[in-house]
Amino acid sequence: MITLPKVREMKYLFLVFLFLITVLCGSSFSAESDVKVLKVAVAANFIEPFKVISADFEKRTNVKVEATYSSSGAFYVQILNGAPYDIFLSADEERPRLLYDNGFAEKPFLYATGFVVLWQRKSDDTTCQERKNWQKLVQSKEVKRIAIANPKIAPYGDASQQAIASAKLDVVLNDKFVFAQNIGEAFHYALTGSVDVAFCALSSALSSKGENGCYLLIKEAPPIKQYGCIIKKSNNQDVANQLVEFLSSKEVRLIKEGYGYR
Amino acid sequence: MPLYLSIKLATISTAVLIISTMPIAYVLARSDWKGKMFVESLLSLPLVLPPTMFGFFLLYILSPISYIGKMWGNAFGSPLLFSFTGIVLGSVIYSVPFAIQPMKSVFAKLDKRLYESASILGLSPIAVFFRVAIPNSVSGIMASAILVFLHSIGAFGVILMIGGSIPNETRVVSVAIFEAVLSMDYEKAWMLSAMLLPISYVFLLVVNKLMKEK
Repeated sequence: MITLPKVREMKYLFLVFLFLITVLCGSSFSAESDVKVLKVAVAANFIEPFKVISADFEKRTNVKVEATYSSSGAFYVQILNGAPYDIFLSADEERPRLLYDNGFAEKPFLYATGFVVLWQRKSDDTTCQERKNWQKLVQSKEVKRIAIANPKIAPYGDASQQAIASAKLDVVLNDKFVFAQNIGEAFHYALTGSVDVAFCALSSALSSKGENGCYLLIKEAPPIKQYGCIIKKSNNQDVANQLVEFLSSKEVRLIKEGYGYR
Repeated sequence: MPLYLSIKLATISTAVLIISTMPIAYVLARSDWKGKMFVESLLSLPLVLPPTMFGFFLLYILSPISYIGKMWGNAFGSPLLFSFTGIVLGSVIYSVPFAIQPMKSVFAKLDKRLYESASILGLSPIAVFFRVAIPNSVSGIMASAILVFLHSIGAFGVILMIGGSIPNETRVVSVAIFEAVLSMDYEKAWMLSAMLLPISYVFLLVVNKLMKEK
């Protein structure tokens, strides 16, 4: 049972509350300074390279990059409803185009191309060289659960699905699939051993966590063309353009290649 | 189909929870002992902790390479994660406080003299529980059941994380709505929501009526 505190205790509570409010307001005021802040919505698969890219960009300019990471589908809904982002880096081609067509964004630009791999955690009885054929691996008895990003909402899932369909395996494998919300979650399922293999992004396989397993490139999956766009409502068009230009520079290309993007 | 899955999930979770937490609620209401406060707080944790945290924990605890996951796999042959049984477990854990609270309060509100005369007449404590406490607390138990039922239908975070969104297995209404929105299929999202809303509202009306009766 909760009993109401007595009057003296109430006074203390009130003081603590007042103190909290002062501290919270103070910190939010001090955050406002002359440095320009660029709010970027980044598709989850591009987290790792974007951290490096934005740090590099911040060093070159006097701009602070505030990145938010989520799924492209979630960002699309948010931007339609007026979310205050300056740039949207999507994992697909369709959503930036729809935003552009409906007058929410400037003309989309290609900023990265990603690839699908099949990733398996290393264990004692498998070696990476043994398996050269992903079609055989996914059909083997040892593989009971396969994670794939939901093809309806994740572009990488859609590409994986196309590869599976072109190998005519969709019906055979139907009972093995586990659908992740995005390609990062699919990788996480395989990394924690919750599933036996996962269709992931090459970038996950090349990350430091990816070293715990081995991957097979899925050539049948079409490369994922990732487009971005500047949001029309943004008050930072000039700085946003600067970042977009930087994204196509030589330095950034090297960073992207290191993470499995072209 | 997602709606059917949600209702199945909610029904099973409710049955499991009411049966397993009724004795706990009774003990908490009728006794006082050292450390009771700690147990009560522990059982209320799901009220304040984010469902994603439970999902994250369960993902690790139940994974086939973990100790518990391995034991389950050896015993039943199929893994717990990404299965219907798995999401039942998740939703049961997440609804524990909703099952305990109304039952506890109704057990505590029962007239003390009822209990006293029952034990004077020679009923054992267990018989008192079954023959006096339960029959006199039906409304509280029903309220618990309906709350748990609705809470399980609304469960989202845990199920999203440990369910794997498998059609006809773990893709319940809440997950289906989320995916419909993200895949820009707003028509489907509206349709599912429109089905869910009246069901939940009617059930809540019943809860309020039951709570008022006592």
